Amino acid sequence: MTMIHIENLIKAYNKEIVLNIPELTIEKGEIFGLVGNNGAGKTTLFNIILDLITASKGQVLSKGIVVRESEDWKDFTGAFIDESFLIGYLSAEEYFGFIAGLRRMSKTETSDFLNGFADFFNGEITGKKKFIRDFSKGNQKKVGIVAALMGKPEIVVLDEPFANLDPSSQYKLRKLIKDFAAANGTTFLISDHTLENIADVSTRLIILEKGKIIRDVPKTETTLQEVEAFFKPVVEAELI
Amino acid sequence: MNQNLFSLAWRETVRSAYWGKSIATNIGLGFLALYFSTSFLLLGFAIPEILTKDFPNDDPVSKFNSILLAYFAIDLIIRQLMQKLPTVSFKPLLLMNIHRPKIANYLMVRSVFNFFNVLPFFLLVPVTFSLVASTHSGMATAAWFLTIFILIFSNHFLAIYLKWRFNEAEYGFFILLAALAGLFTINHFGIVDLSGGMGKLLDLILVYPALSSVLVLLPVLFYFLNVRFLLSRMFINMLSGKQKEEKISDYSWLDRLGENGRFIALELKLIWRNKRPRSVAMMTIIMLFYGLLIYRSQPGHEVPGFAFILGGIIMVGMFSISYGQFFPAWHSNYFSMLMCQRLTMKQFLRSFYMLVTVISVVCYILTLPYAFLYPKIIYTHLSMLLYNLGVNIPIMFWVGMYSKKRLDLNQSTVMNYQGVSASQWLGALPLMVGPISLFYLFKLALGDTGSYVALGTLGFVGILFHSAIIDYFSKQYRKQKHQLIRNYKNS
Repeated sequence: MTMIHIENLIKAYNKEIVLNIPELTIEKGEIFGLVGNNGAGKTTLFNIILDLITASKGQVLSKGIVVRESEDWKDFTGAFIDESFLIGYLSAEEYFGFIAGLRRMSKTETSDFLNGFADFFNGEITGKKKFIRDFSKGNQKKVGIVAALMGKPEIVVLDEPFANLDPSSQYKLRKLIKDFAAANGTTFLISDHTLENIADVSTRLIILEKGKIIRDVPKTETTLQEVEAFFKPVVEAELI
Repeated sequence: MNQNLFSLAWRETVRSAYWGKSIATNIGLGFLALYFSTSFLLLGFAIPEILTKDFPNDDPVSKFNSILLAYFAIDLIIRQLMQKLPTVSFKPLLLMNIHRPKIANYLMVRSVFNFFNVLPFFLLVPVTFSLVASTHSGMATAAWFLTIFILIFSNHFLAIYLKWRFNEAEYGFFILLAALAGLFTINHFGIVDLSGGMGKLLDLILVYPALSSVLVLLPVLFYFLNVRFLLSRMFINMLSGKQKEEKISDYSWLDRLGENGRFIALELKLIWRNKRPRSVAMMTIIMLFYGLLIYRSQPGHEVPGFAFILGGIIMVGMFSISYGQFFPAWHSNYFSMLMCQRLTMKQFLRSFYMLVTVISVVCYILTLPYAFLYPKIIYTHLSMLLYNLGVNIPIMFWVGMYSKKRLDLNQSTVMNYQGVSASQWLGALPLMVGPISLFYLFKLALGDTGSYVALGTLGFVGILFHSAIIDYFSKQYRKQKHQLIRNYKNS
C-alpha cells in the first residue's frame, strides 16, 4: 500500500529552487532513509510532508490525503523534527501525558507504552523533577522521538534522530526503530548525517543533493559502501 | 573595541527579522515620547506660576526642591516597569579577546542613552532658567542644576541595578513598592519629614555650591554596583539554567474538564512556570488596587464617568489584555508541534477563552468591594467585564493572527530580560482606549448610565455569538498557520 506519494514537488525561495522531486512513492512498512549534505533539502522535504511549510508547486499525498487540504493525516502521523516539538516547561511525564491525550491514549496505555522504553531512557528521563528545557540535548531528543511514536502512528517522521545521542543510545535507537516497524508495520521517514546508522536502520536509501534525488536504492549488503563512496570523493575534493 | 561592541548591538537589532515589522511599534513609541516631552516642557514653563499661586507663603524654589523626592520615587517605579535593560548576547564574546569588565562597562554606558534620562530635562531646563536663575547667582544655579543632573543619573543606575536584582528575585519589586509606600506614609504623617529634608539639602546647595561635588559619589557608587553584578553573572553556567529540583504540582484535577481541561492545564503551567507570563499574572493582582488610586473621592472633585470605564477595563481586564495581546505567541516555541497534532484550532481558542473568562469573573468579584465607595461600580465593572469578553477577546484573536514575534520561554531566567519595556504596554492601548472612546460616543446620545449599558450590551452580544466567533477564527488561524510558523522561526 502506498503511504506517501509526492508529485511534481518544487520548493523555491526567491526563485532559487531548494527542492525538486518530480515523483516519489513510499510504501507501507518501508524505513525510508534520507541522506545528504547540509542544505540538500532534507528538513524542507519533511516539513512539506508535515504541512509545516507550503510547497511552491506540486503536492504531497499521505495515504491518499492531500496534506495541504485536509488535516486527517494527523491521525496516523507522528513526527519529531527539532526541539521546537517539545514543550520546555513541562516535565517529561507531563509532556508524554499531554501528547497521549491528543493521541487518545488512556492512562494505563500510556504507562505501558512508556515502560517499553525504559532501556532507551536509561533512567534519565522519567521520574525526574526537572523540566524538559533543563534536559541535555540528547535526553530532549529521546523525549521527542518516543513522543512521536505515541498512539502507534502508521507514519513516523524523524529528522536526524541520531544526532546528539550518545553511542550506546544510538545502537539502542537503531534496534528500537527496526523492532517498532516490524511489530506495527510502521513506515519510517528518517534522515541523518551518520551514514552507518542510516544504512543499518533503513530498508531503502535516498541521497538528496541540492534538492534533487540522485540515488534511490533498496538496502543490500553493499549499500553502506555505495553511499560512502558517493560522499567520500566530495570530501577529498574539498580537502585538496 | 567599544565601537565594535556598539556596531554588534546595532546589527543585532537591525538584522532581527522583527525589526522591519516593528515600525508600527516604533511609531507608537515615538508618539508617546513626543507627548510626554511636550507635557514636561509645558509643565516646566508653568511651574513657577503654579507654585507662586498655590503656595504664596513659600519660596517657590524651596517648594520645588521639596517635591523632588516624590518625583524621584515615582521615577524609580516607572523605570522598573518601562525602562529596558541593556543586554548583549555575550556568550560568543566571552571566548574572544575582550575583557569582561569591558563588556560590563559597555553595557552601562549604553544604558545611559535612554529616553528616561532625557525626559526630565524638558522640565528641568525651563525651571532652571525661569525659576532658579532669576533669584540666584549663576554659580548657585549651575550647582543646583548639576545636583539634579547627578540625581537623575543616580536614579538611573539605581533603577537598573534593582531591575537586574528583581529579575532574579521577582518579589523584590513588591518589596520596593512596600518600602516606598512605607516611606510615603512616614512622610505623609509627618513622622520624619523626608521630602522636606531633601528640599533642605537642595536649598543648602544653592547657598554652598561646592557641596554638589560630594554627590557625584552617588552615581559612581551605583555604577560600580552594576558593574560588579554584571561581572559576577558573566559565566556560561549562569545561562544554562538552574540545577535545583523543580516542584511539579499536579494539575490532573483539570482532566475532568475533558479536552478543554488539558489545554487549560497547559496554559496554567505556562503561566506559572515561566517568568514572563508569571509577571503578567502578578501585574493583574497589583492592578486590582488601581481603584484606590482613581476612585478616591476628593472634596469638590467628582470622579468623571470615563474613570469608571478605565478602572473597570484595567481591573477586570488586566489579565486578558496583557496575556491576550500575545496570543498565540505564548505557544510559539512549540507551535509546529501543535500543528502536527490532531487538535482542532477550535479547542485551542476555546480553552484560552475559558481561561480568560474565569479569571476575568474572579477579578470582577474581587473588585466588588469598591462598591462601598461608589455603588454604581457593581454595574460599571459588569459592563466592562462583558465588553472585555465580548469585544476585546475577538479583537485579540484577530490581532493574534498576525502575530510576528516569538516569545522565547525556554531561556532560563538569569540574564533574560526580554519583554519588560514600554513596547509591551503599547499593544494594550487600543484595548483600553477603545471602550473609553465608545463611552464618549454613546454618552452623547444616552448619557453616562445609558453609555455603560450600551457598552455592556455590546459585550453581551459578543458573548452570545462566541462559538460562532471561535469557529470563524479557528478557520482563519488554520489559513494563517504557515505564516505564523514562518514568523516564529524568523524572529
